[in-house]
Amino acid sequence: MTFTRFLSLVDIQARMSLRADASRFFLGYIWWFLEPLLFVLIFYFIFDIVLESGRSDFLLFLICGNLPFMWFASSVSSSALSILVSKGLVGQIDIPKAIFPMAKIQEGLYKQAAVFLLLIAIVVSSGVAPSLHWLWLFPLIVTEYLIIVTCSLVGAMLVCFAKDFTLLISLTITFLMFVSGVFWDVRTLPNPEFTELFLLVNPLAFLFDGFRQVLLYNQPLDVAHLARLLVVCLVAAALVLGTMSRLDRVIATRVLAE
Amino acid sequence: MNEASNVLLSLQEIGLCYERRGSLFKRISHEILRGINLDLYRGETLGIVGRNGCGKSSLLRIMAGIMDPTSGSVLIEPDIHRAVLAIGLGFRPDLTGRDNAYLSSILQGNSKKQAKEYLGSIKQFSELGDAFEDPVKTYSSGMQSRLGFSTALFSHVDILFIDEVLSVGDGYFQKKALSAIKEKISGDQTVVFVSHSSASVKSICDRVIWLQDGVIKMQGEVTSTVRAYEKTL
Repeated sequence: MTFTRFLSLVDIQARMSLRADASRFFLGYIWWFLEPLLFVLIFYFIFDIVLESGRSDFLLFLICGNLPFMWFASSVSSSALSILVSKGLVGQIDIPKAIFPMAKIQEGLYKQAAVFLLLIAIVVSSGVAPSLHWLWLFPLIVTEYLIIVTCSLVGAMLVCFAKDFTLLISLTITFLMFVSGVFWDVRTLPNPEFTELFLLVNPLAFLFDGFRQVLLYNQPLDVAHLARLLVVCLVAAALVLGTMSRLDRVIATRVLAE
Repeated sequence: MNEASNVLLSLQEIGLCYERRGSLFKRISHEILRGINLDLYRGETLGIVGRNGCGKSSLLRIMAGIMDPTSGSVLIEPDIHRAVLAIGLGFRPDLTGRDNAYLSSILQGNSKKQAKEYLGSIKQFSELGDAFEDPVKTYSSGMQSRLGFSTALFSHVDILFIDEVLSVGDGYFQKKALSAIKEKISGDQTVVFVSHSSASVKSICDRVIWLQDGVIKMQGEVTSTVRAYEKTL
């Protein structure tokens, strides 16, 4: 199968799912915005109102971390079972198994495009003036996309070998939510060395911090680090796609034996 | 043309054994197929008969390129499109019949344009009417197999593998499907037809393989092979 054909199949499936999804709910496409906003409100209620975070801009701060995090979390968790539930198709045609998680990721990407527009609208309406500096959002978004592809494909593949991985995947996502500075600021850690370490070791923490530095504080990014990260993620995503295509029939055999 | 150049697909000493993890330290090993040698010729309709659990579906999946055998080799002409038609499988329940037919058609190798053109014929042949626009999760198993069959009928695969699909649905549709397969076969469609029902095998196949406990028990001419198989039932 050629790469363009692969991409077109991924795109067709994603669009079909989105349409089917929208017709299933009374509020349809509104949920694209409503779901992430409700999550933000839950966090806001707990961390700002109940626990008194003490930041005046907590809501904006939270949105800039939480909306990108939810993109990661929902893509990875919805991809996890994507190959297993497509058992029927897997048993009918020899197609690249990466199509199934990639379709889920694509679905998430379309939704997230709307969410990013919402994010920008909220930031602008709160009084932050847009600037050319915001163009840095693009490499940040591309890097996050590549991380999502890598993690989702690895997850979906592992689940085919042992279903136990679904539990580990959801635990890992929860762990990542706590250590990636979604609702707390990695820059306010008492020990600055920890801040450095977090930003270095955890690419998600670096990205979420990056979104805030660009959108809220108009601060420059560590461009060298971002460039390195982008290259590493690109290589990782390509490696995982390659491995998956080599293991295609092994995966099929596992799925059909389930 | 000599016979060898007409071989589309050739299986050599195929064995299939799979290990399933029962729990952490327990592994259950199954030998499903062993020592299978088989040539599939262009344009023929090969029947595979055998009782449930004899390895028919696994053999079909290996021939269709969905699984690799654990031993032996599968030789196939380059650029051959293969697809399996099986009961009620391969559909996404949340999508409509139309979306599923379109998707399957493209997955089976049709272009977007071809797939769109076939949708009318698929809808008509499947006789689903307005249900074609409903999600597949609302379909009965008969309706699902009608949709699956119609989709496979209007796609250009070089080898069509049919797994028991004629045994469901009402008698009327079964007859219609059988005559559609016959029509397709009369062209140069190569078909591998798997069934435990000997009647449909007798009516459409040119050659039959009888599979028992993972080995080829007998193969060759339809009437005598099917008769021998029927005696064991």
